[in-house]
Amino acid sequence: MEKPRFSTIKGNSPGYYALVTLLGALALAGFASAWCMFSQGHHVTGMTNAIPWGFPIVMAIYLIGLSAGSLVLSALSSVFGKAEFKPFSRIAALLAALLLIGALMCIILDWGKPERILIPFYSMNPRSMFSLNGMLYSTYIGICFVYLWAMFNDKEKLVKLLGFVAVFWAVLVHSGTGAIFGFVGARELYHSPLLPPSFISAALSSGTALMIIVLYLTFRWTGRTLDEALLKKLGFYLAMFIAVVAYFVFIENVTRSYWPANYEVQKFLLLSANKYSLVFWLGMVGCGLVFPFLILINPATGKSIGWILAASALVIIGVLAERYVIVIPGQVLPMELFPGMTVTSEFQDGVVNDYSVSLTEALFGLGIAGFVFFLYVVALRFFELVPEKAVAAGEEGVK
Amino acid sequence: MTEFDRRTLLKFGAAAVVGSALGPGITLFQAFARDGEKRGPSKIRWGLVIDANKCTADCTACTNACRTENNVPLFGDPRYDGHWIRKVTVTPKTEGAVGRSLPLLCNHCEQPPCQHVCPVAATFTRDDGIVMIDKHRCIGCRYCMIACPYKARTFVFKNTEKWTNPDVPKRGKGVVEKCTFCAHRIDKGQIPACVEACNKEGEKAMIFGNLNDPNSEIVQYIRANTPKGIREDLGLEPKVFYKGI
Repeated sequence: MEKPRFSTIKGNSPGYYALVTLLGALALAGFASAWCMFSQGHHVTGMTNAIPWGFPIVMAIYLIGLSAGSLVLSALSSVFGKAEFKPFSRIAALLAALLLIGALMCIILDWGKPERILIPFYSMNPRSMFSLNGMLYSTYIGICFVYLWAMFNDKEKLVKLLGFVAVFWAVLVHSGTGAIFGFVGARELYHSPLLPPSFISAALSSGTALMIIVLYLTFRWTGRTLDEALLKKLGFYLAMFIAVVAYFVFIENVTRSYWPANYEVQKFLLLSANKYSLVFWLGMVGCGLVFPFLILINPATGKSIGWILAASALVIIGVLAERYVIVIPGQVLPMELFPGMTVTSEFQDGVVNDYSVSLTEALFGLGIAGFVFFLYVVALRFFELVPEKAVAAGEEGVK
Repeated sequence: MTEFDRRTLLKFGAAAVVGSALGPGITLFQAFARDGEKRGPSKIRWGLVIDANKCTADCTACTNACRTENNVPLFGDPRYDGHWIRKVTVTPKTEGAVGRSLPLLCNHCEQPPCQHVCPVAATFTRDDGIVMIDKHRCIGCRYCMIACPYKARTFVFKNTEKWTNPDVPKRGKGVVEKCTFCAHRIDKGQIPACVEACNKEGEKAMIFGNLNDPNSEIVQYIRANTPKGIREDLGLEPKVFYKGI
């Protein structure tokens, strides 16, 4: 198979400038929101003393998942021998690094004291999943950039080696992120050994879905040739990943629903007329699993690029809903201080708390995502990321 | 941009990232070494017993005393108010059951999950067993609030205007806070403000003392009355015990 030729894009069309301006404006809005949280205090968010983690954490683990998924796609050619995906490896590796930088920004700017950014570097707690993840995340970004450097310099052997390291690290990063929640014994909806592996599967499905859309738009808007057969193949992978996520979601909820002590919790999450049930069923199960899976496995729609893109967009929304379901409902429900008793107090003990994403938080999350893609679009102009053409072996490329 | 510039930029970028990534790894050894230096178990283990049979629903002597002593603010918005100690009413779900009122505070667990999860080791246990927060080190990530099953920790959502007690540092927004068993008073040989207030104005429902001293009032009381910790099933070994729950 001939080597893909990468080149920078011209980046002087009105469309390009419009896109850069739009994403830059989004990023500025995000930074303004972060400044608002920092200067005013967290009461500008929807968070309270009962719900200490809000939308920024949802966004953070969402971006981490997208990143890990992208990186595995980048390694498809070098690690899993799928040579036809080599044209995508640079884009995917860069996005993996940028998305993780975005995730770290979500986490750090959400701290009450983001100016204490250096403390985690010298004051560590090896027992804390957060502390360990901090190390995993920073090394992961480093690996991504070295991996990119190796690809840019055509160091084939190093690329292969780093591909392995990167995939291994992505698995660690995602297991660790799942463990942040899964290891918390205080909250019924968090405490689960399934969280680390289910985080990995959702990372793969959302990462693949994002890559399908990003690749399609990047090739189309830069006038490069992209073989649709490659996107269809990715669509097939996406369907497989969705099935794995669905399996984990099913097992976790059936296990929890089986035991009588959890009836109330599960009834709240699955069978109540509240927004959390809505996000669970419509967002996580509908958009994230059922609709895209049906689209992708149906021969009539699964082979159409338009439908594959639609399914990918649904997955991207659905996995955001899945991250929301992981973070929020576990805090909304009151903790059982005295099992079997009714507890009341002036500190919302024993009541179901309410959480709504405030405008500040929404802009914060959206803005950081905008910043990630702002960097991506700018990088396209300065680095040789996009190949002239990407075609599946033995097939003619379709523009 | 020339090819050379691009490559140099990439190399420098990669070097910078690798450097920042390895940084924590190197200092990690220090963290382990620090742990290794830990002193042996202290002779003092502070604990608290609360007699829920004596505590009455309309008495808030302990919570008021705590707010004054530790400058814990009320913002007039229950979502953001800090609570180092709070009164809760616990009622069995059976028909006609009468509720019991009792104060809830940090249990200063022997196995504190808040300390386990703190990414920067800002939460620590003193030699006398008091679980404390180093507010100069806390980054305000709030993982400890997620991990504490007692909801004993609150986040400072807004700056505090009032400063009632100069012995307690004035606090700024953005960090997590909780009961310190009035460590500043204990270090002066006094008992926590809530216990003192309960003895003076309240129902004398609280006994504070050294759990490691077999002759202390609290150990004698525990032997005679076998009070229980809240959610002892979680295995955290809380050091606040309740009689009559």
